[in-house]
Amino acid sequence: MHSGKRVRQTPAAIEARKQREKSKIQDYLALTREVTSRKKSRDFSTEALDLTQTLLQLNPEFYTIWNYRRNILLHGLFPNSSPEGINDLLSSELSMTTAALKANPKVYGIWNYRRWCLENVPDGPETEDGLSHSWKKAKWDRELYVVERMLDADGRNFHAWNYRRYVLAMMPTRRPEASELAYTTRKIEANFSNFSAWHQRSKILSSLWNDVGTSAISSREDEFEFVRNALYTDPDDQSAWIYHRWLVGSGQERQTLEREIGSIEELLKEQPDSKWCLESLVHYQRLLLRNNRDENSKETAQKCLGFLLMLQEIDPARRSRYKEIGGGNSRTKHSMISYHSYLLFFR
Amino acid sequence: MAESQLLIPLHVSYIKSLGDSKDDLAYHMTAHLRMNAIYWGLTALCTMGHKDALDRVEVIDFVLSCWDDEAGGFGAHPDHDAHIHSTLSAIQILLTHDALDKVDIDRVTRFILSLQKPSGVFAGDEFGETDTRFSYCAISALSLLGRLSDLDVEKTVSYIRQCRNFDGGFGNTIGAESHAAQVFVCVAALAILDRLEEVDQQTLCWWLAERQLPNGGLNGRPEKLEDVCYSFWILSSLSIMRKVPWIDADKLTAFILSCQDPESGGIADRPGDAVDVFHTCFGTAGLSLLGYPGLVDLDPVYCMPASVIEAKGLRKDWQALHRRLS
Repeated sequence: MHSGKRVRQTPAAIEARKQREKSKIQDYLALTREVTSRKKSRDFSTEALDLTQTLLQLNPEFYTIWNYRRNILLHGLFPNSSPEGINDLLSSELSMTTAALKANPKVYGIWNYRRWCLENVPDGPETEDGLSHSWKKAKWDRELYVVERMLDADGRNFHAWNYRRYVLAMMPTRRPEASELAYTTRKIEANFSNFSAWHQRSKILSSLWNDVGTSAISSREDEFEFVRNALYTDPDDQSAWIYHRWLVGSGQERQTLEREIGSIEELLKEQPDSKWCLESLVHYQRLLLRNNRDENSKETAQKCLGFLLMLQEIDPARRSRYKEIGGGNSRTKHSMISYHSYLLFFR
Repeated sequence: MAESQLLIPLHVSYIKSLGDSKDDLAYHMTAHLRMNAIYWGLTALCTMGHKDALDRVEVIDFVLSCWDDEAGGFGAHPDHDAHIHSTLSAIQILLTHDALDKVDIDRVTRFILSLQKPSGVFAGDEFGETDTRFSYCAISALSLLGRLSDLDVEKTVSYIRQCRNFDGGFGNTIGAESHAAQVFVCVAALAILDRLEEVDQQTLCWWLAERQLPNGGLNGRPEKLEDVCYSFWILSSLSIMRKVPWIDADKLTAFILSCQDPESGGIADRPGDAVDVFHTCFGTAGLSLLGYPGLVDLDPVYCMPASVIEAKGLRKDWQALHRRLS
């Protein structure tokens, strides 16, 4: 739900608006009555289809009418059409939803209707070069273009990202995952803050690294380099930090974990009150402690507790969390680490 | 000037006035949300201790007029198709008004279960998209109807589990980005099913706490704008995991109060924006969980008055902030 700015209107202005809206309301309600009464009488004609279009252009959120439209196609128009006819009908449905999405990029019903259209596109004849599913392929191939224009308009639109993943999974000729990785690189380089693109990248890389196996290690190194660049560019932006946390994971590779801790400590020298540097250092050092106990453990734990005290000062909104991680609320700022809190720390 | 108090009488009259806007185009353009809007209005009124400000009989009659006899569920408005979301709202309204006996529980249960897909997720309606929001609607509704035993819990949980991301959050489908509202539906659904062990609570509560912005408001995803409705989605999740203190309650309270319309009542998504009943519901719900004085306890799992849920014996082990006296 999205609201516009609150506008204070005089009673006279409100009255004038209501007068202006009067005929619009009458028309809208008359059209709604007409369409719902045709729906009740199971009118699956072209005329009914046209009326639903007018109504949906006025109100694309009217989910019942999208359902009625599907039923008109399924029970009225498809049964009397050749495969070419069905393909043409769905082409025009897709054009209609393209226009509707441009005007209303966050309306679930439109995205949903578009999926239904795509899934109903007939395979189509074999082409001269022996490719089957020619209609289907042509339609699905176009979808990535459509969704990229939507993501150009709003790179965080989760409807568009979900639709993108859906298209990638469903298209008749699968696209190599490397192309999707390249797409996320472009989106991230255009805006480091776009966590939706970082998220997508984590999914693609998980899948690539699962498949490829051995070559993954070098690629993981490249990835650390890529995210480090983002961290240094804007250490206050949480997107890259959250992604970095995914990349480190459970920190089983001690060398990598220590290297990353070292790198963040370097950044902390430049940005001594960086909340995300401190927060991440606490998290990674706790991983280090959990995975490897040795003679340095106590020192590391002490360092963490120091960082947690700093975090309580520079990030007071989350003070209770830092206190809790540091071993409970009873400890005062300057006290030594008690044995009890030291143990709690390893939970 | 930002308001320092919740303007209860104004919000009550704002909610009461919503039904009198039939000469407003927006009223008719939002008919597809009418059932939900009545649930939001009624819940906000309950939270403010004015449950009876909307006429009980009128409300129940409206709900029953939305019954879709072909599908066996409730639509959002008379002549609208049955949908799982409006069906949940209908059940919530009727239960709040102690009128569940007016529902054909067997038929509604069949309708809800008919929407489950082989993957375990639920669709919103016959043609509808699938989404963990609808899994929550199904689980909450079945639980309120006393019919959870008809649900294939393993299959249902398995889908939700696959929507979990490395940041501890949940998306609306497998592979989708974590989103605070989806976190609420997944965590609350798992709470109802007594399956909170599926949640990486330390990681998720960290991620949720990081939704609070310097102005006190909460966003729904990293590097996005704040919005009052996330006060509920995030506070409810934190309440279920007993970590409400991980955010700054005073700053969030001040932010929600600053989103009130001090002249005509209602709460908006952000200060200075136009109000609506959705944000009025979730703003007051958030304040209730923050222990705001004078408000009635709200159950964060079902987003209904806590007394109603307790009377059904459905209360889970959540913890909101203690109600302050002043």
